[in-house]
Amino acid sequence: MERTLFTPKEARYPNNQSNGHYQLEMQSTNQPQSSHTSTSRSSDSGEPCGDGKWASKLLRECARAISEKDSTKIHHLLWMLNELASPYGDCDQKLASYFLQALFCKATESGQRCFKTLTSVAEKSHSFDSARKLILKFQEVSPWTTFGHVASNGAILESLEGESKLHIIDISDTLCTQWPTLLEALATRNDETPHLKLTVVVTASIVRSVMKEISQRMEKFARLMGVPFEFNVVSGLKSLGELTKEALGVQEDEAIAVNCIGALRKIEVEERGDVVRMLSSLQPRVVTVVEEEADFSSSKTDFVKCFEECLRFYTLYFEMLEESFIPTSNERLMLERECSRSMVRVLACEDEKGHDGDCERRERGSQWSERLKEVFSPVGFSDDCVDDVKALLKRYRTGWSHVLTQGDDSSGIYLTWKDEAVVWASAWKP
Amino acid sequence: MLENMADGAISNGFTQNQIAGYNPPPLKKKRNLPGTPGKLLSLSLSLSLSLSLSLSFSLSLPFYDDPEAEVIALSPKTLMATNRFLCEICGKGFQRDQNLQLHRRGHNLPWKLKQRTSKEVRKRVYVCPEKSCVHNHPSRALGDLTGIKKHFCRKHGEKKWKCEKCAKRYAVQSDCKAHSKTCGTREYKCDCGTIFSRRDSFITHRAFCDALAEETARVNAVSNINDAAAAGNNINYHIMGASLVPSMPPHFASIFKPVQGNHRIIDSTRPEHTLWMNQEVYTDPIISCSNPPPSDYQLSWVLGNKDASSNAEELASVTGVGSQLVSVPSLFSTQTVNVSHQTPSANMSATALLQKAAQIGATSSDPSFLGSFGVKCSSNQVQDGNKYCGLYGTSSISTGLGSDVESSVNDLSTLNQLQMYPSKRRHIQNEDCTTTGGQTRDFLGVG
Repeated sequence: MERTLFTPKEARYPNNQSNGHYQLEMQSTNQPQSSHTSTSRSSDSGEPCGDGKWASKLLRECARAISEKDSTKIHHLLWMLNELASPYGDCDQKLASYFLQALFCKATESGQRCFKTLTSVAEKSHSFDSARKLILKFQEVSPWTTFGHVASNGAILESLEGESKLHIIDISDTLCTQWPTLLEALATRNDETPHLKLTVVVTASIVRSVMKEISQRMEKFARLMGVPFEFNVVSGLKSLGELTKEALGVQEDEAIAVNCIGALRKIEVEERGDVVRMLSSLQPRVVTVVEEEADFSSSKTDFVKCFEECLRFYTLYFEMLEESFIPTSNERLMLERECSRSMVRVLACEDEKGHDGDCERRERGSQWSERLKEVFSPVGFSDDCVDDVKALLKRYRTGWSHVLTQGDDSSGIYLTWKDEAVVWASAWKP
Repeated sequence: MLENMADGAISNGFTQNQIAGYNPPPLKKKRNLPGTPGKLLSLSLSLSLSLSLSLSFSLSLPFYDDPEAEVIALSPKTLMATNRFLCEICGKGFQRDQNLQLHRRGHNLPWKLKQRTSKEVRKRVYVCPEKSCVHNHPSRALGDLTGIKKHFCRKHGEKKWKCEKCAKRYAVQSDCKAHSKTCGTREYKCDCGTIFSRRDSFITHRAFCDALAEETARVNAVSNINDAAAAGNNINYHIMGASLVPSMPPHFASIFKPVQGNHRIIDSTRPEHTLWMNQEVYTDPIISCSNPPPSDYQLSWVLGNKDASSNAEELASVTGVGSQLVSVPSLFSTQTVNVSHQTPSANMSATALLQKAAQIGATSSDPSFLGSFGVKCSSNQVQDGNKYCGLYGTSSISTGLGSDVESSVNDLSTLNQLQMYPSKRRHIQNEDCTTTGGQTRDFLGVG
């Protein structure tokens, strides 16, 4: 399927524009010894980078140096990046800072340790309140996550229309923020409210700790809505492939919906086929899959390619964050730090066994479709659902749009930001 | 006859659906149900009713069983036909007879003026063609052709009209238009004080809000049986706050859907049908805790309201509420302050609260207060069909409660609580009160 819309736009990262502004940019970044760096810069690269996008150029070069194992160059570039980077600066500085960390770990083969440290630091400062605040704020300013929620809820409601016993298996880390609106829809759209059983499968350890609180809130809310409700949490799985009907408490008379939001990418690449087959074995009426549109699967084979893709994606993400949040937002900082962990994980960690569902290797919608088509067939989103998505996007700042996939078997809908596809949502049936 | 009709009308206002044990035709109307107000009240009501009868308030009056009413059952096709009046010359169709007559003049035909003949025009009531529908039965017929058309579309029709902004769907175009006017303009306020312009973020926030958890904890502590007085207080106070919503009959019912906190008490014991259950529990403490005001006071309140029939019953039973309701204009003006002071209310003793209410009640009722209730019954019908289909619709779930309230009471957090509740329940309530006043439960939620 040709989707020329979604090829990385090189134009966004001008490498070869000669521009006298570069020197001025360096001096304005409040970095010490900027004159020093500028001289070395001019001798090194030859051409200054256009419109201030120095980070991408430097980072790319560094990645290349690493893959070529050119240690002098590596050192040099790492040092430069260190001078210029800051996690509290502008987009370029932030990207430089976080990618620097990942590249450094890659170069020194300390990715594993770094990742563990970062994760434990994050866990310590993690609480229900902070997580809730973060996720709700993000949903308020950006449709990045709510897009997937709306599309999935629409598909689920339509597939399970008329059923009286619903069982939704939620494999995600969304902290159940998807479900209040679904509960409300269930309560209001039918004359008879069906019984809903929600089983949440938690992968990230960070999320596990807050699930108790979440379950209480959800139960209360369901009572408020007047929806008969049951809530279960499944955690502690080594891998999703271990899930079975019994483990999930699936009963014969229930209509099953499986909801995977950012879940498939957490599975190790080799096991993904197995997990998809496992999903099919649950005999669901509908499977909704939402993933971010990026391809990080080639890290082992082609580091530079993977790096470029990472750079493209996270640049987009960081820019989106910058435009969506206020400059001093703490939530944005948290999200950026989350990205930094992913970066380290993808770029600097070898895929060892024993990883606890924290693989972050995203794949594009088309790639997921290939996998899912082995056992499922795509379900197009209804007009009503697409209307809901449109209405949702209207409620946010400009720049957001959606694209339906073309082709005979339309397999999904993309969220686009400034014409770049960023999130892919799809629905499947056996 | 007048007396009969009045009695019947009043009864209809409160009683349940007479379908159970009901004997058609609607001739035998003498029903004295518990809770029916006394003679004095019914006389006054009948006076006001006869006045309003002469105006064609088909939508605002609850269905009164006119024994001589002609029950008309139209087929779905006829009902939905837009051009029922056909010109015999050229076959052109018109929506209204007047338009047809004007057209006929163009054919140089003498036009037939539809005069009011000497014979009394028989009141026509219409039944819904859908067999499974409650309104299919003559006792539940609607008095207005437009009304039955809209009902049929809303309940049994497909939703062809869609709001541009929020994708909410409607079967009746006028509903959709009415919604579009307010779509996106309403604000939702959570108990915790945060205001949202978007419904979806409000709902999601609400589900995780601390106010939700706190309410439960606080109310659970308060609901201790030993502390019944305090609980009654709490409820009373809440009722005051909630009842400040300028309401029509359906919304008096909403008084018994107390603000959030009270919900939790029931929630913990009965997970299902919480909304209805709340009504049952809370009526008793209210009646027991309040002092009945002087009856004439109540009357003046009743007569000032077009929907006298329904209101009378409500006020008869919710005596304390009635007095507090009318007699606290100051509360009305400071509603947001009021509702947010739920915590302090729990600390006031029952006697203190009632004394305070009595003091304020000593002053005459504020007529403007009553007037501000702006009973817009017709708009109630308009929003009757507000089934919330879109997942992220921005319009309020509650029907009449929505725009009516918005116009006069802003940011009442109880309002927003009530908004959250499933519309179909409100829908049922609205239907009840505007037609015959209830399904299987009477207004008090008993029986």
